[in-house]
Amino acid sequence: MTAIVEARGAAAIAPQAGAVKLTMLLAGAVILLMMIFGLTMRAAQGGLIELDPTLFYQIMTAHGAGMVGAAGLTGATILWYFTGRYVELLAGVYWAFLGLFLLGVVLILGATFIGGYAGAWTFLFPLPAISGGLWTPGAAIVFLLGYVSIGVGFLLLHLEVGRKLIAAYGGIGGALAWPVAFGNGRPEDAAPPAVVAAMASTIFNTLGIVVGAAVLVASIVNLAFPAFTVDALLAKNMIFFFGHVFINASIYMAVIAVYEIVPEYTGKPWKTTRMFAIAWTVVLLFVLAVYPHHLMQDWAMPGWAVVMGQVVSYFSAIPLIAVTAFSLLVYLRGAKSMRWDLASALLVLGVAGWTAGSVPAVLDGMIVVNKVMHNTQWVPGHFHTYLLLGEVAMAFGFMAWLGRRGDDSLSGLPGASFWTYAAGGTGFVAMFLISGAMSIPRRWAVHLPQWHLQAQIASAFAALIILAAAAFVLRYVVRLGKS
Amino acid sequence: MQTTILALSFFLMAVIAWAFISAARAAGSGSVATNTESRRKWLIVGLAVVGVVVTALSLRPWPLAVAATSAVVNVSGAQWYWEIDKDKVPLGQPVAFNIHTIDVNHGFGVMDESGRLLFQVQAMPGYVNQVEYTFNTPGAYHVVCLEFCGVGHHDMATDFTVASK
Ligand code: HEM
Ligand SMILES: [Cu+2]
Ligand SMILES: [Cu+2]
Repeated sequence: MTAIVEARGAAAIAPQAGAVKLTMLLAGAVILLMMIFGLTMRAAQGGLIELDPTLFYQIMTAHGAGMVGAAGLTGATILWYFTGRYVELLAGVYWAFLGLFLLGVVLILGATFIGGYAGAWTFLFPLPAISGGLWTPGAAIVFLLGYVSIGVGFLLLHLEVGRKLIAAYGGIGGALAWPVAFGNGRPEDAAPPAVVAAMASTIFNTLGIVVGAAVLVASIVNLAFPAFTVDALLAKNMIFFFGHVFINASIYMAVIAVYEIVPEYTGKPWKTTRMFAIAWTVVLLFVLAVYPHHLMQDWAMPGWAVVMGQVVSYFSAIPLIAVTAFSLLVYLRGAKSMRWDLASALLVLGVAGWTAGSVPAVLDGMIVVNKVMHNTQWVPGHFHTYLLLGEVAMAFGFMAWLGRRGDDSLSGLPGASFWTYAAGGTGFVAMFLISGAMSIPRRWAVHLPQWHLQAQIASAFAALIILAAAAFVLRYVVRLGKS
Repeated sequence: MQTTILALSFFLMAVIAWAFISAARAAGSGSVATNTESRRKWLIVGLAVVGVVVTALSLRPWPLAVAATSAVVNVSGAQWYWEIDKDKVPLGQPVAFNIHTIDVNHGFGVMDESGRLLFQVQAMPGYVNQVEYTFNTPGAYHVVCLEFCGVGHHDMATDFTVASK
């Protein structure tokens, strides 16, 4: 334990920095490509380009799976990198994770663009098997096997992280800082913030992926042997449990970068407090309990479950607003010095975007609102806010930090690209929210002429985002090349 | 409803953005805030109280209730069309819609003439989902699909009429 605490002082430890840098390069490339796919879709919705609906839905499937995958990949990489400061992790596990991830990407892209699979990243049962003649069961199986491959990689990574943290911090409770949260342990002896976050997200992501694996296997068997069917409501519950947990885990893992990197800019450590420890345990429970907010229009769901979805959605915002965001604000104001560069600016933007995105999400998590907002563009409106301006901003911040130099600042090109990203992202998500409030459905390849203007404006904002993101990635490549 | 939600959302998001921008500007000033933890406590208590009140108000009456009614409309979704067993729906009384699907999940969404979404419910294999609505304006209503169901998803639309008394 003391060895671990001492290791924290030596923040220079860079576990498997090479593998991590390579991953972030790959992730940056995937995100850029998927953003171009996104712009293609938005331009088609605005009538700016002609896109066959079949191709639109293939692109939508690839964009959804690719972006969620990239978010998970960057989140898990951040988790791995910083956990490695506290415990020694097996390098081989990371390479297996990365290899399985890339295999998954190949299978998913192949299934989509060669096999024609266009059943969306959510593979809602029984759509993969009932394509209306558009893709074969084989293509759907390959797509789902891609998920299985990625899922196995995540399980390996989480098992390694979880097992090492449990051993080093005296059990799950120790790693979650329960002595401080619920006992009279001293904060000085508590597990550091990165460890608490890593332990909590490892637990919920593992549970999410296990449930995801079960419904994936059931769907694959159904595709191979159509006589085997699954209850549609059960499958929906499992898919949304998995999807919700996985995407949330990516954000909760990415925020570790804030805890670990921002202190380098202020000279002030980020400490585990009682409030912090309690918040993470609450988050752990809430992330697992909130998913029925996706099923509010499934009338067959038990009433108590959708009420739980509504209540937990709202109360999930409290640890985010009153602990994560509030603490960062207090921390920044209280810091004696602060240096802004691309990395620190993007990391703070990430927490801001995440927090802001919780507002339309929580509103949509109310049954009465959901009745008129569910599956309109309100939904991509809120999740692009906490992903594009949240998780992905943090991931780009981590990338910028990996390629940092001592004298970086926010003037010149980095500053211009940062503000372009923030402004483009804000405009882009605002157009989704406005479109949702105007009842424009999500996931429609063809939009009515009276909806074209919103999509056209959004396309312009999307182009700005892509320019900025390209600048982030290019700068990273140049920095890597020089080091 | 939608406009109010949009305005409220933008307002709260702007407040959050403002809080971040002003903290970022103040960063590095080393200002010592003394009552941080008590402010945090009030924030938590405030959010919790608002949460309890809003939850209670928004769930009564139960938004998903469907009463026994004489006006029943059966709707069936399929790739990629809707079938509705009545083309005239009564005005000014609760109408219960029974939603079936013969293949994959669909979403039964009803819009008024201006294109504003009034209500929706999912259609799910093996289940009959119900939704109740009282139409107060006669005229044409537009049915769209609000659950992705394959390549014809956006084309899966139909209309029905609410008859004047
Ligand atoms: C330039 C940036 C981006 C653009 C232009 C863009 C555009 C789009 C568009 C047009 C849609 C379909 C909207 C609809 O349902 O009508 C969409 C869906 C989606 N986007 Fe993005 N997006 C961008 C960035 C991101 C990022 C950064 C993420 C996550 C990390 C993301 C994740 C998703 C997901 C999960 C979907 C849902 C796909 C589905 O409905 O099956 N997007 N995006
Ligand atoms: Cu969710
Ligand atoms: Cu549909």
